[in-house]
Amino acid sequence: MAKMTRRWGMVIDLDKCTGCGACNIACAQENNLPIFKDDSDVPKRVTFLDLIEVTNDKDPKAQYPDVKVAYIPKMCQQCSGNDPNNPHPPCVSVCPVVATDVGEDGVVSQIWSRCIGCRYCQVACPYEARVFHWWKPRYEGSFKESLNPDVSIASRGTMVKCTFCSHIWKRERDKAIAQGITDINAVTYTPACASACPTNAILFGDLNDPSSPVYEPKIQKDPRAVRLVHSIDELRTKDPSEYEKRTKIKEYPNPKVYYLTSQQWLRDKISGFKNS
Amino acid sequence: MKGTRSFLLFFLPFVIFAYISFIVFQQACDYAMNVQAKKLLPFNHRTHTTTYGASDCEICHSYDSNGRFNGIPTVAVCKQCHDPNKANTQVFFAGFGDNDKPWESFAQQPDLVYFSHIAVMKNEKKAQCISCHGDKGNSTTTAKIKGKMAMGTCMDCHTALKISNACTVCHD
Repeated sequence: MAKMTRRWGMVIDLDKCTGCGACNIACAQENNLPIFKDDSDVPKRVTFLDLIEVTNDKDPKAQYPDVKVAYIPKMCQQCSGNDPNNPHPPCVSVCPVVATDVGEDGVVSQIWSRCIGCRYCQVACPYEARVFHWWKPRYEGSFKESLNPDVSIASRGTMVKCTFCSHIWKRERDKAIAQGITDINAVTYTPACASACPTNAILFGDLNDPSSPVYEPKIQKDPRAVRLVHSIDELRTKDPSEYEKRTKIKEYPNPKVYYLTSQQWLRDKISGFKNS
Repeated sequence: MKGTRSFLLFFLPFVIFAYISFIVFQQACDYAMNVQAKKLLPFNHRTHTTTYGASDCEICHSYDSNGRFNGIPTVAVCKQCHDPNKANTQVFFAGFGDNDKPWESFAQQPDLVYFSHIAVMKNEKKAQCISCHGDKGNSTTTAKIKGKMAMGTCMDCHTALKISNACTVCHD
């Protein structure tokens, strides 16, 4: 079997995003996420893709016509550590039972049936992308029959997270084998959030593939590109020697999800980088 | 003598606990693997594979075009060969509609397992039906042949077929 060369990644264009929340709903439907009475209880609800509202109204310079709002779709950023060829996401090294691991495609997997619910990974995650199942989901009436059969319903007391809809990839691989395609690198797929986006703001593809819309070297050169709470990116071009020095002493998350925005205030909010 | 008795009494709760938990896990496994599957039609695999020449399992247990395993055949599949207008087949199929599945599957995977037949059977892999389902083609009754499929069995086969044994290959 051919070696996997894919490295799945995502680019979210916040200039195109209207904040409609279709990605959030599509994700919850696709991954059988439980519905509770009070889903506004943020630490206890279960959601893989969170829509964060950010405004610049705390900024003293932003007066009435300049106050702006943006919505950031935040899912698991699929961190890879400093060296993408030898990935070290922050959540994987803390798991005592290897319930979370990095696949050949760079996607960080999470197996709820192996999870013991210690929640170390939730603490280690820099993006709060992992959620804990506090209660067993209850479904009203015949709602359970409408669940996605490809995804198992996680039990109470386990950790769950976004895995870039890896079950869709498995399904596409089966389809390819049925057509006689045995090369694993020939199979592509689209996660539920990317296919649900009405403005095509969420692009999904292979970061290593030059023909894909999310080819990583191209995205890194884009002046609009910014990564969530990843201030070290600014040093990569501004001060390469300092960048080298810092990456030697510390493992940075190096996420595979890029955000594109042309608004400076939003860039500052997302990257967490201060010019001071 | 008294020492032996107190020694035995000390271990008695552990033995009882182990025995009860064994029964509980046994029942749970039986439930998960659907040991009490309903088989309303008597079916003889051997006559179908030898006398009628249906030597390939895929004639009745086929794949869908998207690679999904179609599972146990419906009565409609039986009626492709058995003429439903004949007198003796009419008696046999009485009470079964075209889409009825008069039998349930013994070999069910639990919800948390993603298993694809086509990935191990067709993708340059050479898994055999026999290795998981037992010698079903030679059976003359609908009784269960092979026991439970534990995860270790899957992993042994994965090692032999050079498929990754990472958790995420089967679990999500």
